[in-house]
Amino acid sequence: MIFAKMRKGGLLAVAIASLLAGPAFAKVTVLGWPGGPEETALRAAADAYNAKADVSAENKVELLFFNRDGFWDKLQADLAAGSKAFDANLLATYSIGRYAPFMEPVELSEEAKDVYGDSVLTTMQYEGKQYGVPTDLSLHFMYYRKDLIDALLKDDAAKAKFAEISEKHLGKKLEPKNPDEWTWDDYAATALYFTQAVNPDSPTRYGTVLQLKNLLFNMMVFQSLPRAYGGNWMDADGKITVSSDAYRKGLETYKLLYDAGATPRDSLSYEFAEANAAYASGQVAAMVQWNAAASDLTSKEKSPAVAETTATMAPPGGPEGRFTHIHGLGFGLNKNAENKEGAKAFIKWLSSKEAALIYAKNSGAPALTAEVVKEVAAERPDLVQLGEFASKYGYVMNGGTSAKALSVYELQAKEFTGYWSGQQSLDDTLKNTEKGMAELLK
Amino acid sequence: MTTLTQRAPFSEFKQLATPLVLFLLVFLGFPAIVNLVYSVSDVTFENLRHPQVSGFANFASVWNDASFWQASWFSLRFGLLTALLECALGLFLAIFLSPLIERRSWLMAILMLPLMVAPALVGLMYRLVLHEFVGPVPYYLWTWFGASFSFLGPASAFWTLIVVETLQWTPFALLLFYMAYQAIPKEIVEASAMDGARYRHRLWYIELPLMAPTIVVALLIRFIDGFRVFDNVYVLTGSGPGGSTASLSIYIYEAFFKQGAIGKAVAASVILFVVSFAVLYGLNYLANRRKGAIR
Amino acid sequence: MITALRWLVFGVAAFAMNFPILVTLATSFKSARELSTNPGLWVNAPTLENYSAVFTVSDRLNIFLYLFNSIVVALLGTGLAVALALPAAYSIARGKVGERMLLPFIVNLRAVPLIIFAIPLYMMFQWLGLLDTRLGLGLILTIVNLPLALVILVNAIRDLPGEIDEAALMDGAGRKQILISVIAPVCRPAIVTSLIFGFITAWNEFLFGLMLTTSKAVPITVGASFFFAASGGGVQWGVASAVMVVGALPPVLLGLIMYRQISGSMTAGAVKG
Repeated sequence: MIFAKMRKGGLLAVAIASLLAGPAFAKVTVLGWPGGPEETALRAAADAYNAKADVSAENKVELLFFNRDGFWDKLQADLAAGSKAFDANLLATYSIGRYAPFMEPVELSEEAKDVYGDSVLTTMQYEGKQYGVPTDLSLHFMYYRKDLIDALLKDDAAKAKFAEISEKHLGKKLEPKNPDEWTWDDYAATALYFTQAVNPDSPTRYGTVLQLKNLLFNMMVFQSLPRAYGGNWMDADGKITVSSDAYRKGLETYKLLYDAGATPRDSLSYEFAEANAAYASGQVAAMVQWNAAASDLTSKEKSPAVAETTATMAPPGGPEGRFTHIHGLGFGLNKNAENKEGAKAFIKWLSSKEAALIYAKNSGAPALTAEVVKEVAAERPDLVQLGEFASKYGYVMNGGTSAKALSVYELQAKEFTGYWSGQQSLDDTLKNTEKGMAELLK
Repeated sequence: MTTLTQRAPFSEFKQLATPLVLFLLVFLGFPAIVNLVYSVSDVTFENLRHPQVSGFANFASVWNDASFWQASWFSLRFGLLTALLECALGLFLAIFLSPLIERRSWLMAILMLPLMVAPALVGLMYRLVLHEFVGPVPYYLWTWFGASFSFLGPASAFWTLIVVETLQWTPFALLLFYMAYQAIPKEIVEASAMDGARYRHRLWYIELPLMAPTIVVALLIRFIDGFRVFDNVYVLTGSGPGGSTASLSIYIYEAFFKQGAIGKAVAASVILFVVSFAVLYGLNYLANRRKGAIR
Repeated sequence: MITALRWLVFGVAAFAMNFPILVTLATSFKSARELSTNPGLWVNAPTLENYSAVFTVSDRLNIFLYLFNSIVVALLGTGLAVALALPAAYSIARGKVGERMLLPFIVNLRAVPLIIFAIPLYMMFQWLGLLDTRLGLGLILTIVNLPLALVILVNAIRDLPGEIDEAALMDGAGRKQILISVIAPVCRPAIVTSLIFGFITAWNEFLFGLMLTTSKAVPITVGASFFFAASGGGVQWGVASAVMVVGALPPVLLGLIMYRQISGSMTAGAVKG
């Protein structure tokens, strides 16, 4: 108790002191994405910025982090209530529309175009205005067990089995292929082949692991499948096009894999962490997962069972091409910021080449142009793949940056998981989704 | 006795209750008014400070929302089942184990442990426990029986959640019942034993009736907590596939934040508030009438 | 024979109810390497690396500050709730003041998900400068704790024979005096019970901690989740388990220590009763 009182007294003194000192101590407070490589990178960038001679004491950057669970919910409440707790804050492609009313457009450095390229800068734009610096890009990789696939490709008996399984479950004879040439059907056939429930000789228990929890982020992972068959949220006239053969195909493929036992039975409660744990156990042959998992899954310390045999590739393709859902994380300006000028200066600097390189070297994941990425390619080979996949296969759904984008993912999560879990028919699922999306995106 | 209590100056009692009432007016009265205004307004995060009054559209959209009824049904079933299971189990343990606990009170401490842990943490712990590749339960099922069971799939998630909730909160009922059981005057028990009453009779006609008020309170508290469950369900399954494990709390939370449908969320809250008040006032009225009848 | 059966039942109940805690405890001593190969309850090569990770990363993840915040807000939220509830409980039980309105109203607060008050409270706290302060969070926890404290105290006072008050009234004592010098001491077991339940509830509260704090007043339940990355980064189950153990430890220890006190005063109450 005495200790508590002393602490309290001390804190009070500090509070009073800082009140008296007033604006002389004003800093630029930046709210970042906690816990991952993004935090490490932002810390390094902020340290470099604060060490610069031309940054005055009152414009030094101080970092602030909420926790990840409910991050966007809390940020929304804070922004809507006119919070002054931070001057600059995290933004994501899918939440720009929602937060734009509480934020101000920013001006980037002149180098920004050459560093990031136009398509990446658009991930931080809303209604034609730039709301932030695109510091990190998220997309999906196909993680697969190179040892297993290579063995399969060499084994004629296995090829026959593969053809038999694909004919039985997918209705056509397929032969094993290299993941770089996969269509979603090849992926499904491979997943079935490596499932013990389908093929008792399989070296792994499951062919793949799907993240099917009723959670909006899982829908982003799913989205690339229908997209490869030409799926989109709406057409150029704003008509909702989710009730399409493409979405039908995507939803059915997932359901087929789930029903056949090609993914753990509890996948309906899986998200990022569970899927990684399943893959890392060595009992899964391939999965589509966020690029953020790459460092863990290829680390001998963290994933001893699979680290050395795991390779990454872009997600499979379809008749309309090969796609990976992309979204950017970045930093923008709070409309109610207390130190607006300071925040603007930091954001501008953050978009410079100097900052981008510091960010990249400290485990951030910026999507840099081919020109710039060369300078860090030796240290971060994955960034080359990231930039390449983003520019070749990256897409954002029509309406994917609107104010209601998060709500659309949310709606899809509820409806689609309802179908996969067998609670409603495919027709009802698509009908409900289309109706809900029409209401959200009108 | 009643005469004396009634003769006491009324205002003195009022004075004693005043601080609580003031506190509630400030910290709940104001938010409640804001909520009432919002519930009949067209409100979004953008116009939070200047909502447009729009009538009862929010209430209509809640009423016509199948998910609302699904969530209500989930909460009702969840609350009833967990309350019954926890109280039955708690009652059995309290009476059956009391000879052990009377002599060694630390045994109760071990049984009470789960109560001390945050439900959100317990939910996270079960994510670990039930995970097929890092959790011990599926691991042992697999190594011993070669079975891979789905704990959180659509067919079993509800029951898994019931078990999770029951295992955590049975100690609550157990503790209350043990206290009540110990509070039964020894003389009564001894007297009836001397009268030659058998143990079963003693339990049924003397001890349980004496514990009845505690049992009712425990049932009510556990039902209420089960009904408005949030943390552990939210952490374990979220709203579940197709919204199948959404409780009313989760429904409101998701409408509020995830869908940005503030009006709908607030309208659902107001409905919930009014209904639960009506039910609880009703119960209170019945209880008072029964008391009157006995008198 | 019957005693053996009782022990068996006790063992099964204790094991089942504490199972997630045991698993988390075991996991917290496993290295990342062991975790991915051994999901069982037994730890082959116990290590403290998870705990040292929890306690050394203190640049942003200052676990000591979170623990301190939790202690302060839980004490505040519990003490204030009991201080407000006790006199009110007395008026309700003895004076029938608010028995029809106030009591059911407060009891019903338990039935309402308090999340619905979050946005208005947030705005109000901003005007009052209570955001991200221990005082602000403590006040909210008071609301959370009030219903149970009130129910427990009203029941306890109702159970007391009216003769106690009568005797004091005859001596010319006022109600306030009776409350302080007669009722409160006799109700000590109930007060302690509601303090303990209140403290644990407050400590374990998550939602408002998440909503109303950002850095200075973050409680441990919210701070603990800083150590996981639920969607986006990698979850290190071992470190996550260690944080859960640390976050759960204080209320668990408190419950264990205070338990002796309750059971002691409970027996005293039973003898008198």
